[in-house]
Amino acid sequence: MKKIISIILAAALVIALSACNQSSATYTIGILEYSTHEAQSLAVQGFMDALTEKLGNEVSFQKQHASGDANSATLIANNFVTQNVDLILCDNTQSLQISAAATATIPVLGAAVTDYAQALNVSLASASTGINVSGTSDLAPLESQAEMILELFPDAKNVGLIYCSSEVNSLYQINSVQQYLLSKGISCAEFAFTDSNDLAAAVQTACEFSNVIYLPTDNTIAECTGIINDICHVAKVPVIAGEKGICSGCGVATLSIDYYELGKKTGLMAYEILTNGADISKMPIEYDENCTKMYNKEIAEELGITVPEDYIPIE
Amino acid sequence: MSIITSIINALPGAVAQGLIWGIMAIGLYITYKLLNISDLTVDGSMCTGAAVCVMLTIAGMPLPLAMVCAVIAGMLTGFVTGIFHTFMGIPAILAGILTQLSLYSVNLKIMGKANQALSVRNYDLLVSLQYIRNVPLWKNAIFVVAAFVVVLIAILYWFFGTEYGCSLRATGSNLNMSRAQGINTSFNTVIGLMLSNGIVALSGALLAQYQGFADVQMGRGAIVIGLAAIIIGNAVFGKIFKNFAFKLLAVAFGGVIYYIVYQIVICLGIDPDLLKLLSAMVVAVFLAIPYWKKTYFSVPKKGGNQNA
Repeated sequence: MKKIISIILAAALVIALSACNQSSATYTIGILEYSTHEAQSLAVQGFMDALTEKLGNEVSFQKQHASGDANSATLIANNFVTQNVDLILCDNTQSLQISAAATATIPVLGAAVTDYAQALNVSLASASTGINVSGTSDLAPLESQAEMILELFPDAKNVGLIYCSSEVNSLYQINSVQQYLLSKGISCAEFAFTDSNDLAAAVQTACEFSNVIYLPTDNTIAECTGIINDICHVAKVPVIAGEKGICSGCGVATLSIDYYELGKKTGLMAYEILTNGADISKMPIEYDENCTKMYNKEIAEELGITVPEDYIPIE
Repeated sequence: MSIITSIINALPGAVAQGLIWGIMAIGLYITYKLLNISDLTVDGSMCTGAAVCVMLTIAGMPLPLAMVCAVIAGMLTGFVTGIFHTFMGIPAILAGILTQLSLYSVNLKIMGKANQALSVRNYDLLVSLQYIRNVPLWKNAIFVVAAFVVVLIAILYWFFGTEYGCSLRATGSNLNMSRAQGINTSFNTVIGLMLSNGIVALSGALLAQYQGFADVQMGRGAIVIGLAAIIIGNAVFGKIFKNFAFKLLAVAFGGVIYYIVYQIVICLGIDPDLLKLLSAMVVAVFLAIPYWKKTYFSVPKKGGNQNA
C-alpha cells in the first residue's frame, strides 16, 4: 500500500513538473473565489478587467475556486501565502476571514463583501479596518430599499422577509429593513429557511402572511429564483429584491448595485496598493454610490403594477 | 517560483490542518471501529465545539476553559444520540442524523447568527493559519496540534486499557456476549458516543481558531473526511502499526495524508468543483482494496481445512 501511495505522489509531482510554467509578471494576485453566486463572479471579473486595463501584462492572476468549502479555501489561502503573492482578493465573508487569518502582511481585498466589521470582528469607526484588509461592500442602501416597498405598495400592511439562516449577511439585511419598516408602523415577519430543500415551504408560508415580500442579497435565494417566482406568481404576491439578479428572476423591483462596477472599484484600490504603495490599513471600505431603481417589466405587468417613471426595466 | 517548491512550501499548512482533522478522525474511530456504530452526529458536533469555544472566548472566558466547555458541549451531543439510540431504540445511524439535524438549530442559537469571527489579532489563540511560519517552535501550529494528538492518544490508550475501557471495547466487538458477561452495554454505548463527540468538538474548537471563525456550515461532510482519514491511515500503516496507540496515530497520519494530497491537487490547479467527487472515490477505493484482497487474491492457508 505504501508503494501505491508513493507512486501516486511521485506521479503527482511529475505532472506538477510538466505543468510548471513561470510567469514573468511583476505582480501576482491570488483570487480566492468561495461562492458560486453569479453577482460575485461579476465583481471578480470587474476587478480583473480594471487591473488588466491599468497594468496590462505586468499583472497575472491566480484564480482558485473553493466551491463553498471552508477546508479547500483554507488550503488555497495557505497556498497563496506560501507563494507570497502580492495581493489576495476574496469574494465573500468566509474567504475574507480565512485570508485575514492566513496572513498579517499580504494585503487582502474584499470584492463585494457585505459587512467587514462583523466578518473580521473589528470596529469600522474610522471607515477602515486598521489591519491588512480593505475592499468594497455590496451593502445596498437598505433604508432606500425599504422606502421602495412603501413607494410602490403604499397599502401594504404585512411585509414578509425571507432569508437563509446559514447566511450571516442576509440576517443583517433583514434586520435593517425590518427596523425601518417597523418604525413606519408596518408589521413584518421573518421566514427563515435552512437550505434549498425547505425554501419552497418558507415562501409558501410567507405568501399567506404578506402583501409584499422582501428578499435580501442571499446566495441560496439567488440560486432558487425560479421556484420563488412560481409560488409568488400563483399567490399574486409582489417581491422586492435586494439585487438585480434576484429581481430579474422573481422580483418586481429592486434598488440595485452594480457588481461589475464594484469589482472595478476594488481593482482600482488594488492598483493604488500595488503601484502607489497606499497603506491598506488606512483605506476606507468603499460602497457603490450609484444605485439604480430597476424593475422587472414582465412580472410587473402580470401583477398589474405601474412603476414610477424613474425606474429602469431590467433587460 | 516553480510549482514543486510552492507545493513543498505549502505542506506545513496542510499538515497542521490534517492533524486537526486527525483529532476529529480519532474521535470517529472510537464509534466507527471500537463501538461498531456509524455516528453521523459528528457533522453537527464539530460545529458545536467550534461555536461554544468561539462564543465563550469572545465573552471573555480564558481560552483553555472555553475549550474544555466545548468538549463538554460535544459530549452532551453524544449523550443525546446515545439516549436516542439506547433508551428510545432508534437505529444508530438515524439517531445520529436526528441529532445532527437538530444541532443545526442549536448551533445557530449558540452563535446567534450563521458565522462568528474569532480573529487572532484580538485574542491570544492556540493555533492559527498565521502560526505556521516565522514563529517559535512552541507556538507553531503543527507543534501545538501534534502535542494535542499525543496527549489525547496517551489518555485514550490508558483509558481503553482499564477494566472499564475493556468492557467498552467488548461492547463493540460482541454485544450479546458482553451482555452475557454482565456488562451494561447501553450505558457503554452512551459513554462511547459521548467520548467520541467530545473529541470531535475539541477538533472543531481547534479548527475555528485555525481558520479564524466558526460557521454553521463548517462540519458538513466531516464524517467523510474522518472516515477517509481512518481508512487511509489503516491502509498505509496497518501493516506496521499493530499496537492500539499506534493505530490511533495512524488515524491522525491518515488525516495528514488526506490534506497533503488535497493541497497538491489545489497547487496543481485541478478544478476544485470535482474535489468532493475525488475524495469520495478515494475513500471508496481504499474501502474496496481489503475486500478485493480477501476475495480475489487470498491464498488458502495450509491446513486450513483441518483447523476449521
